Amino acid sequence: MPKVSMPRSTPSLDMTPMVDLAFLLVTFFMLTSSFRAPEPVFVDPPTSTTEDQIPKQVFLVTVDDKGRVFIDLTNPAVKEMVLKDMMRDFKVGMSAEEIKKFAGAGPIGLKMESIPAYLELEVNERTKVEQPGVPYDTLNIKKSQLYHWAYNARLRSHEDFNARKDEAEKRGLPFDNTTYVQFAVKADGKTKYNVLKHVIQVFREAKVKNFQMITGLEAKPND
Amino acid sequence: MAEIQSNGGGGDGGKKRAKKQSTKVDMTPLVDLAFLLLTFFVLTSTFSQPKVLRMIFPEKLNEEDLKNMKQPEVKDGITILLTRDNRVFWYRGALNEKTTVLEETDFTKNGLRKILVENNLPLLTQLRDFEKEMNKIDEKDTAKRNAVDAKVKKAQFDSKLVVLLKNDEEATYRNVIDVMDEFMICQIAKYFAVDEGMAPLEKKLIAQKLKS
Repeated sequence: MPKVSMPRSTPSLDMTPMVDLAFLLVTFFMLTSSFRAPEPVFVDPPTSTTEDQIPKQVFLVTVDDKGRVFIDLTNPAVKEMVLKDMMRDFKVGMSAEEIKKFAGAGPIGLKMESIPAYLELEVNERTKVEQPGVPYDTLNIKKSQLYHWAYNARLRSHEDFNARKDEAEKRGLPFDNTTYVQFAVKADGKTKYNVLKHVIQVFREAKVKNFQMITGLEAKPND
Repeated sequence: MAEIQSNGGGGDGGKKRAKKQSTKVDMTPLVDLAFLLLTFFVLTSTFSQPKVLRMIFPEKLNEEDLKNMKQPEVKDGITILLTRDNRVFWYRGALNEKTTVLEETDFTKNGLRKILVENNLPLLTQLRDFEKEMNKIDEKDTAKRNAVDAKVKKAQFDSKLVVLLKNDEEATYRNVIDVMDEFMICQIAKYFAVDEGMAPLEKKLIAQKLKS
């Protein structure tokens, strides 16, 4: 048997293509990913076969399995305006700084009176707060805070949409018609439907009729 | 390191030369870093945007209208009843103490979907024909396309089948979405989620079924 001659040179591996590949993937994921916003509650929405995308701008109503309601608005400018309306309606004072903080605070499930104290907290402490949900009352809907949130949000969204449209027209710029703030409901699959019905009833009272129910994706059955 | 230094210690004396420095840069830490970042982004990114199911609710009625409104009743229809433990019942036609027979079904392909497809067959065959017609038409021929669209709308409007969805206190949101989804799949043209929930008789029938 002939002797196997070992190569003299050091066994080296060129890592450059691997680095190239790895960074390519990093770049891809960095550019395509959107980060999950911090959520005060975890909800597991049911799945459906629809393929409609979520609207670009939403007033998000999150309902967890205990029936707590959280609200959020993806448009910070409108969110600030709605908060100012709410401060007027429920006579809660907040500083300009707090209003700014609120716009970036994510979903909130508190009554108006406890929002300033919540905003004082550090961001990582906020997640520890057990939020009771925005109060709503099915007997006296028009006095409930959820009703006022819905009502003000509907008016302000409309106002904001028209203002932006006018602005775009004035400058002769193209305008994206799909940026209208729509109402989206994200509820846990285990939530009792009657609870959801009550929440929707509050919104219907505020003349919000059109809802986007957020669902997970499910494969379409083939015929 | 990716390279193994096999240059043994001192040679056998001789001239002292400047050591030959390798020009290769060790890439290994860079790879480590890149993959670390990669893992981070893969794990934190939300891949697919959630989908939405559109639901339109009628405007709130005032007290007087509510008083004058009666429970919806359908002759050529199906009523689906949702109750606890993901159980689902259905019956055909108008509610009647003597003739209504409640049947249990489930959310599988052979359950609810079969019932809905069987009952919606007239509309489904019509829609399939329209689809074939549509496929024959040239993409740019909007006039003809609109004409077919109008036919589809008319067929949906004329569809006899009405499906009602009722729930009791125990039914979950998941079940409702599942049923709505079935409506979409089976292309039911007319369906309503009944606001008032179940009638007392329906509750009684379900209670009987659940016991047995």
